[in-house]
Amino acid sequence: MAINGPKVKSVFIGIAAIALIGFIFKPKPPVQNYPNREKVRFWHMWSGEWKDVIDKIVVRFNQSQDKYELVALSIPSGASTKFLMGVAGGNPPDVMAQWEQVIPTWAESGLIQDLQPLMTPEEYAMFDREAYPLVKKIGMYKGKLYGVTTGINISGIYYRPDFFRAAGIDPDHFPKTLEEIDAIAPKLDVWDKDKQLKRIGWLSPNWTSLAPAFGGGFYDWKAGKLTLDRPENIRALEYMVNSRKRLGFDRMVRFQSGYGSDFGAAWSFIGGAQAIQMDGMWRIEQIGKYAPTLPYRVIAMPPPKGGVPLSGSTGGNFMIIPTGAKNPKGAAAFLKFWSGIDNPERAAEFYTWGGWLPLYPRVTNSRIYQAYLKKYPQYKPMLAMMGSEHVDPSPPVIIQQFLMDKINQKQDLALRGVVTPAQAVKDLTRDVNEELARRRKLGYAE
Amino acid sequence: MKRRDWVGYAFIAPWLIGFLLFTAGPFLASIYFSFTRYNVVTPPVWVGTANYEALFQQDPLFWKSLGVTFRYALVAVPLGVVIAVILALFLNLNIKGIAVYRTIFFLPSIVPTVATSMIFLWILNPQIGLINGLLRSFGIIGPAWLADPNWAPWTLVFMALWGVGGSMVIYLAGLKDIPTYLYEAAILDGASAYRRMRLITLPLLTPVIFFNVVMGCIGAFQTFTQAFILTQGGPEDSTQFYALYLFNRAWRYGDMGYASAMAWILFAIVAVVTSRLFRSQKRWVHYGN
Repeated sequence: MAINGPKVKSVFIGIAAIALIGFIFKPKPPVQNYPNREKVRFWHMWSGEWKDVIDKIVVRFNQSQDKYELVALSIPSGASTKFLMGVAGGNPPDVMAQWEQVIPTWAESGLIQDLQPLMTPEEYAMFDREAYPLVKKIGMYKGKLYGVTTGINISGIYYRPDFFRAAGIDPDHFPKTLEEIDAIAPKLDVWDKDKQLKRIGWLSPNWTSLAPAFGGGFYDWKAGKLTLDRPENIRALEYMVNSRKRLGFDRMVRFQSGYGSDFGAAWSFIGGAQAIQMDGMWRIEQIGKYAPTLPYRVIAMPPPKGGVPLSGSTGGNFMIIPTGAKNPKGAAAFLKFWSGIDNPERAAEFYTWGGWLPLYPRVTNSRIYQAYLKKYPQYKPMLAMMGSEHVDPSPPVIIQQFLMDKINQKQDLALRGVVTPAQAVKDLTRDVNEELARRRKLGYAE
Repeated sequence: MKRRDWVGYAFIAPWLIGFLLFTAGPFLASIYFSFTRYNVVTPPVWVGTANYEALFQQDPLFWKSLGVTFRYALVAVPLGVVIAVILALFLNLNIKGIAVYRTIFFLPSIVPTVATSMIFLWILNPQIGLINGLLRSFGIIGPAWLADPNWAPWTLVFMALWGVGGSMVIYLAGLKDIPTYLYEAAILDGASAYRRMRLITLPLLTPVIFFNVVMGCIGAFQTFTQAFILTQGGPEDSTQFYALYLFNRAWRYGDMGYASAMAWILFAIVAVVTSRLFRSQKRWVHYGN
């Protein structure tokens, strides 16, 4: 049978049209697996392997429920903008996991709820009594609880004993001060024949971590005010600049640009790009998963000579409930479930999945978490820092994001040698004061 | 109005409604917001000209971002025109496989900016990037590109040239419109190829050049995506484009009133630049007739 061209063309177009219609009108997978339950919409910013952990927690919550169903949505980038649009449009999520500098601004704007009314008096009393001080520092603003920190981030020093031995340094006697680390760092640096870096011995942490160790910091938590222009802050930045001088800023930037991904086995420390590195506690789980045979140790950052031990900066993953949430009770149920307010053993399991630090000692002391600590004793220095008064989160001021951006900008300028550390602090103070004055003039809340 | 007119309006109603709701409405509303303290969520509060005063008198980053944007526009737009015209002249030649060459040069312009930015992020990596790798094979240590404040703005200009294929196609269409009898007459008069290009091709291409310059200027003043993805305004604010700063004020710091004032200043600048260009066309644009 002869097949003519136009006929074939018509058949092809017909099939394509049917396929297109099928694609456009294909039934969508159900959003809810339990349609009879009340829906609780949960937005978070995790992706990749972290998202898998969150999905597991969501499944556990839904299995534990007969009233609510949590529907999770991962928004790895632009989540805060989407949140604002959701609130403005009257369709926000019921609960959101955040780690950006949003609590003061959003609380002041009335975007997020005080969480205390969503807890029973007993639950709140327990939270107030037992939660680590850092948890409250991160989640509270003007005396009200706006975010429940489900995971605290604490950084420690990771170092490679094999590199120490190769450089003739005893890894069992790690330096006791920052100055002593600087003294051994050149022995751990590795250069190629073109004077380009092959390995960095030691790279000091950022300014916000160093300032408390020098006895400074950007906020007086007792007086409730910013303390930018302090000599200790200048000294911390001076240390940072001087400590990195041996590397040269340009060579350091070039070398770091080759680090690539931070995920899995691609993390620079696993690859041997640094001998001593300050990083967060989540790396312990990462190393355990992707490089279980890697020789490494973790300690709390030593202070500078005469400085403050067990000090640094912190942040965390915290849960917020927007003012216009349609199901705040369901959202609060999820918060309690994750944080382990009623069942610390259950919550402890979640913390071991994600490599997070718990918010209550009762979770830390649980059987499951203690078994996890036996497996990974590297967490212990971080847990020791949890009780310290000298580990500060970002200052809880209305211009928190602006302030942190400016701190990072001035640090960058000082490291590049564009301004001196003293000038950087002076400029930081000026910029922040000008911003506050501008906002005051416009009638914004202080 | 006649019935025919109503039918016409009915046909364009979907676009008209969309334009009024999603373009004209917000456009006009932002005039009001620029005189208010507004964070998108709570009702705006009238503050008069305070946002404009703060911008002009108290915000050094406003001036810096304007400078960065002007400098970028002054270099990227003329360079884009020159390179697109040269490419169009080459791709107007009558040689075998020209359609393939045209496609190759046009393709980058249809790749989304985000994808292009991610590719350039690798190409320009100072340590493991393609360009510095090539330079290293010749014994040259390449610049740190986006990490160096002296190189970062020009790197973004270079990236903009990557997408020059879009305007190149318009120039190509303009070249095809030039009557061949003009060239024939010029050849008979003994005009060299250079003189034909200078006295026939370029003058008759000026309407297309004018169009591309206007569109290029508007686009350059709104440069955002590359800086947002690649540099976040750094290093040392060297790529702090006006639109990026505006975005940060609006969404990062929740200051929509201030950002609206910035948007209107940008609108005024673009309007002035565009009207200047329109005024200038009498002197250099030739419409053939």
